Amino acid sequence: MPIVVIGLSHHSSPVTVRERFAFEQAHVPAALQLLRDSHVAEEAVILSTCNRVEIYASTSSEFRQACDSLKEFLVRCHDYRDPLTDEIYAFNEPQSVQHLFKVACGLDSMVLGETEVLGQLKAAYDVALKHGHTGSRLNKAFQKAFNVAKQIRTETNIQRGSVSIGSVAVELAEKIFSTLSQRDVLVIGAGDTSEKTARALLSRGARSIIVSNRSYDKALALAAELGGRAILFEDWANEFAKIDIVISSTSAPHHILDRPKLEPLMKLRRNRALLLIDIAVPRDVDPGVNFMENVFLYNIDDLQTIADDYLKQRKEEIARCEQIIRERAEGLFGKPGLSGDPRIRPAFGHE
Amino acid sequence: MDWFTGQNADRHFFALAVLIYGLSMVYSVFLWRKGFREDNRTNYFLLLTAFALHTTSMTLRGFRLNHCPVSNLYEATIFAAWTIVTVYLVVGVWSRLRFLGAFASPVLFCIGVFALMPALDRTHSANPEATGALTSLHAALLSLAYGAFGLSSVAALMYLTQERNLKFHKMKAVISLMPPIQRLEAIVGRLLLVGFILLTVGLAIGGYDLFRMDNPDAHRGDPKVIWSVLVWLIYLGLVVMRWKFAQGGRRFALGAIGIFVFVLLTFWGVNLLSPIHNQ
Repeated sequence: MPIVVIGLSHHSSPVTVRERFAFEQAHVPAALQLLRDSHVAEEAVILSTCNRVEIYASTSSEFRQACDSLKEFLVRCHDYRDPLTDEIYAFNEPQSVQHLFKVACGLDSMVLGETEVLGQLKAAYDVALKHGHTGSRLNKAFQKAFNVAKQIRTETNIQRGSVSIGSVAVELAEKIFSTLSQRDVLVIGAGDTSEKTARALLSRGARSIIVSNRSYDKALALAAELGGRAILFEDWANEFAKIDIVISSTSAPHHILDRPKLEPLMKLRRNRALLLIDIAVPRDVDPGVNFMENVFLYNIDDLQTIADDYLKQRKEEIARCEQIIRERAEGLFGKPGLSGDPRIRPAFGHE
Repeated sequence: MDWFTGQNADRHFFALAVLIYGLSMVYSVFLWRKGFREDNRTNYFLLLTAFALHTTSMTLRGFRLNHCPVSNLYEATIFAAWTIVTVYLVVGVWSRLRFLGAFASPVLFCIGVFALMPALDRTHSANPEATGALTSLHAALLSLAYGAFGLSSVAALMYLTQERNLKFHKMKAVISLMPPIQRLEAIVGRLLLVGFILLTVGLAIGGYDLFRMDNPDAHRGDPKVIWSVLVWLIYLGLVVMRWKFAQGGRRFALGAIGIFVFVLLTFWGVNLLSPIHNQ
């Protein structure tokens, strides 16, 4: 009984289609029962996340017939009546197992190498296992998928590094400060990116947030949202003795912080390290301050370059990951062809 | 083979250890270029092999002398290097800290080459004044002090590398396995303090030992004594700058490296000029 996979993901369909095929978590056990009762699948796991809806099934039916039945099940389950073209894809063994491994490793994810999908896959498998909808083949395939995900995480760089501005800022802060839990953050200018960056720092343990904005009401609103304190725009320099990280994103047409202004402030700080994240365009901080001792200045391009480099590094790892996946998938049920016909191509393949 | 069993076998073992420290230093250049992301197991293995040879050398010398081999400059120097490599091998058990070998190996190689210079390995003194427990303690404490200063300069080198990468927005700054620069700065400071305390106690014991001699005033102008006081004062200055005036960062790291380089470059010459250390 080969393993087949049928479904739709962010690669094949827009969110407007995906959301109509999504399973509510509470309804998954009933859907699995229905699927098993229809005798299309002997074993089944349903994975439903914001980026994909997939059914992994072990079936004794011929691949094309199984695909048709599973597609019909998906459509019927969600009462989907619009025409479908290439939105739904399907894979037979060994591609189905390789696809499962890719999903587990985050290779098929929107953010390459992300790890959240592994948790979602584990949860989907647990539900099927708990309700008795898995058997020896799916158990073996899923256990192996978790195992391969661990191997890829430790042996390759696919999950290494940050690919968003906020997380790059956090990484930089962690390379400068011993611990973020003792660090205070000053946000100057309540923009969207500065809010995300501040949130990322808070999520990694930053001690407190101070928000300063030309419009005090906006500062109050953001401070309330982040659990911080709002101050008047004229007063931000007075906070420099205490803070360690500054996120600046004002719409000022000139530099609001330069060397003559920062030098006396650094003395107040007893020369402690200071991370300046300038995400404003035009820039808020004079690049000259980066030459001061213990001052580390990063602008939006610097952060984006690091994020892009990380993404490039992850992409370079894809071939290595796929090689590991191919080898592990081959070793799962023996050589390809023993459990399924390798000549059968995906019925609605997108990849 | 006589080379490994003769009178100088311990020196030969040490020379082999230094050769492997050199190989590790060459390998470290590649690790530096790759931003410490490469597997450091090879470097760890190289330093482990060198450590085995280094330990064999010290053990052979110890058995030959029938006491702890810290009674001349060569022995004191190799003891200080042994302290550094031992600390690295223990710390390197944790794979995340194994990259430290890339910084330790150049220091170990330099100390090793310095130790092998001629005239450092003098025949042991027959002068009863300069032997005994206090002299051994003086030598051991100073070896440990210079070991701590060596490690502190290793940490300072790491600080400068990481600080430069952060300043110039290099990708290496974020992908490297190095600890945060604030922690490195703290490590430099603490190791300097430990080294300074050991140096102070070691010099005090040495001074007391001299005072007990028949004619202590004869050693007042001894170059090594003057040099030791000068080194002590320089380290005192650095320690005071750090704790009293919160001097940290780049200048502090450069200070830690600069003084240690000065010690390495002048130790041998000053020692040769010192009658009480060449008896």
